[in-house]
Amino acid sequence: MIYLKRTGCVMLFLLGLLVILLAASAIFKPKNNIPSAGMEETLANGILGEPENTIDVLIIGDSESRCAICPMQIWKETGFTTYVCATAAQKLSYSYTMLDRAFQRQKPKIVILETLAIFREMSLEDAVKEILYHRLPVLRYHDRWKCLHANDFGGAVLPVWTNDSKGYWNTKKVDPGSNEPYMGAMDNKSSVSLLNRRYVRAIKTLCEKNGSRLLLLSTPSTINWNYALHNGIQAVAEELGIEYIDMNLMNDRIKIDWSRDTFDKGDHLNHSGAVKLSLVLSEYLQEQGIFKDHRGDQAYAKWEDILKNRGTEPEEE
Amino acid sequence: MLPLSSYFSLLYLAILLPGTVLAYTVLPQKYRRAVLLLSSYAVFWLVSGKLLCYLLFSTISVHHIGLWLENTQLEANRLLETAPKETRKDIRARTQQRRKKIVAFGIAVQFGILLALKYGAFFISNFNELADLMKVTVKLPVPSVILPIGISFYTMQAASYMLDVYRENIPADRNLMRLALYMSFFPQLMEGPICRYSETAQQLWDAPPMRWKNLMLGLQRILWGIMKKMVVADRLNLLITEAFDNYVHYDGFMIAAAVVCYTVQLYMDFSGTMDLVLGSGQIFGIKLPENFQRPFFSRTIQEFWRRWHITLGAWFRDYVFYPISLSAPIKKLPLLLQKRLGRTYGFIFSSIPALFCVWLCNGLWHGAGWNFIFFGMYHFALILVENIMEPPAVWLAKRLHINRDGILYRCMQIVRTAVLFCIGELFFRASSLKAGFAMFKKIFTDFTLARVKDNTFFSHGADKHDFLIVVVTLALILAVGCIQERGVSVRQWIEKRNLAVRLSLWYLLILFIVIFGAYGTGYIPVDPIYAGF
Repeated sequence: MIYLKRTGCVMLFLLGLLVILLAASAIFKPKNNIPSAGMEETLANGILGEPENTIDVLIIGDSESRCAICPMQIWKETGFTTYVCATAAQKLSYSYTMLDRAFQRQKPKIVILETLAIFREMSLEDAVKEILYHRLPVLRYHDRWKCLHANDFGGAVLPVWTNDSKGYWNTKKVDPGSNEPYMGAMDNKSSVSLLNRRYVRAIKTLCEKNGSRLLLLSTPSTINWNYALHNGIQAVAEELGIEYIDMNLMNDRIKIDWSRDTFDKGDHLNHSGAVKLSLVLSEYLQEQGIFKDHRGDQAYAKWEDILKNRGTEPEEE
Repeated sequence: MLPLSSYFSLLYLAILLPGTVLAYTVLPQKYRRAVLLLSSYAVFWLVSGKLLCYLLFSTISVHHIGLWLENTQLEANRLLETAPKETRKDIRARTQQRRKKIVAFGIAVQFGILLALKYGAFFISNFNELADLMKVTVKLPVPSVILPIGISFYTMQAASYMLDVYRENIPADRNLMRLALYMSFFPQLMEGPICRYSETAQQLWDAPPMRWKNLMLGLQRILWGIMKKMVVADRLNLLITEAFDNYVHYDGFMIAAAVVCYTVQLYMDFSGTMDLVLGSGQIFGIKLPENFQRPFFSRTIQEFWRRWHITLGAWFRDYVFYPISLSAPIKKLPLLLQKRLGRTYGFIFSSIPALFCVWLCNGLWHGAGWNFIFFGMYHFALILVENIMEPPAVWLAKRLHINRDGILYRCMQIVRTAVLFCIGELFFRASSLKAGFAMFKKIFTDFTLARVKDNTFFSHGADKHDFLIVVVTLALILAVGCIQERGVSVRQWIEKRNLAVRLSLWYLLILFIVIFGAYGTGYIPVDPIYAGF
């Protein structure tokens, strides 16, 4: 009896704590998705300011995808809307959060997960922390005590900002890499950790729940990619029944010239590389036959304006 | 594998500790000790993996040495019972000699492992440098070794057990499990306190039943420790790392500020960890020895070291200072010197050899580096000067009618002690002895407030808000310290309040840590500092 009573006390205490943390979360959560409002990763979180249900393709992943996929180029070629929700060294737990956030306002038909993030080391502790941070925003944004405004106490959360690059990180710098082949076929297979495999499965389930299809995509990188990694992802894709495209094996179509198309010796693509890749990705998206060309549609006039005013090359980061 | 890096990780606080508490609560008494031992080895495994074999070897060998010592004595006692009177003295002497050899062997094995793993690289690289200087073409390969977690701590516990058995202060433990638990109890595995067998082994083996009051008090202390670590120690980490790693780019003010911040960080990190460790022990009804007693209230460096890392100081006192002081050649010194220097100074100067050894060991214990040796020698010199200066200081105060117990004089002594300790910490934290001296010189030759005036001082990982919250938290800790110095127990005071007050305090403390803790984007928590020693 005494045990029951005390267990009850602990439960009540924890419930009270949860209520307090939820109340604090309401205060500490940024009310807009701009840095001055306390938002983190604003380039990727610009998705929150996009008008509802206007994004066709959503990209999650790390810096590889942020530098390799140019949404305005895809818009120019196809009239499809894409947004890159990628962040530096993104772990799959955060990819899941980004996707979950984006699904609150968007219903993309395809979600692309750049595959380097699948190999990023992630501990169970990282994963649990990310879940807590996502569910109790006071944990992520607690440092906002330094800049709280009156509006934070009771004000509504209204993210209205987005960026013209649509999450793409543009740079025209060139630091050449080697054009030596780096994708020699082999049987070796890099293994994906159990936790990361579970996260890929969870991302797939989340996509299906929201009417999206998950696509695994490896963007070209001579430093970060090789055939063993390709085999590892191929195995995961087959196990989970997910389509997989490795653009490192498609250079006859993409024609990346590593002496010109990278800004850091083959680690990431620069703008000219991103344009080449986006052209091929545009073709793939067109082949799917599931997207509508929004060019000329008044609801997408802003995309037209950006293209007219700035072309496919937004301001360099 | 789930790597465990600190007691402040989610893995420890949300899984390992609650899991052990749950198993400990639901299982009957005879299994509780097994729960503690299994959890201890699980924690060691999660931190150091296969290096667990070092701990197992130490435990088994120490157990064996203890039995060997005791059996030798028992055998001698049996012989003495039947031996004629004239041979008894000889038997006693031979037995003593034999026991001395056994304990020396045991100590040599334990400290041999520690020396090889922790100091091997230091000694070899110094040997190579010396060979270079002497133009000898001998270059020994410098080994790169990963240390098992807490090796300095459990080695000292092992040594104290063997020496206590040798001195017949305690009987040898025939129960390997009990000894294993004493050597590895998981909360004190990484950073101490350095326990004595006579104080903790039986408590652990008794595995008292879980008590609601102990659980509450333990959790309360854990929260207090988390606050110290996450709100203060982690918050100052970026500034300290930047200033110490790139001191050549900074002026004297920045370096002085970083030194003060480091001293605060070290205290908050280590005492915060001790709160967590002792709180974890308290949950199971185990009373581990205190390691801190508000050291920054100390009026002298000697007093400071009686309040800072108490169990380490006590270990050196009992197993280094006393044996050296009571050894045959040193024993004669006080009498010899008292005749020439008087009673007070005779006593002070006769303690020099033992004091020197204690502080050399203390410096070396903290790490293999000349800056640590300097740190030890610095405190040796301070304590010696303090002892020498005490009689003239008393005389002068009397002549000038200064009340040495007055608040002003006391405050002056407290500040002086804190400043002297901070200077020691500069060399302790510096990347090398040379860097330490260069930083110390800069404080006096390049002191300017320009960085504060143009606000760049606040752009190195700790802004004005960060300093504000550090000051507020330290003020809170100081206030609690002042109350405790008067002999009042804050925890007992809280316990007597009604439920609403107690609940509010719990929630306030948790919310304080959640909001003002230095975690997440923009912060890099400091690695457990003493776990590295």
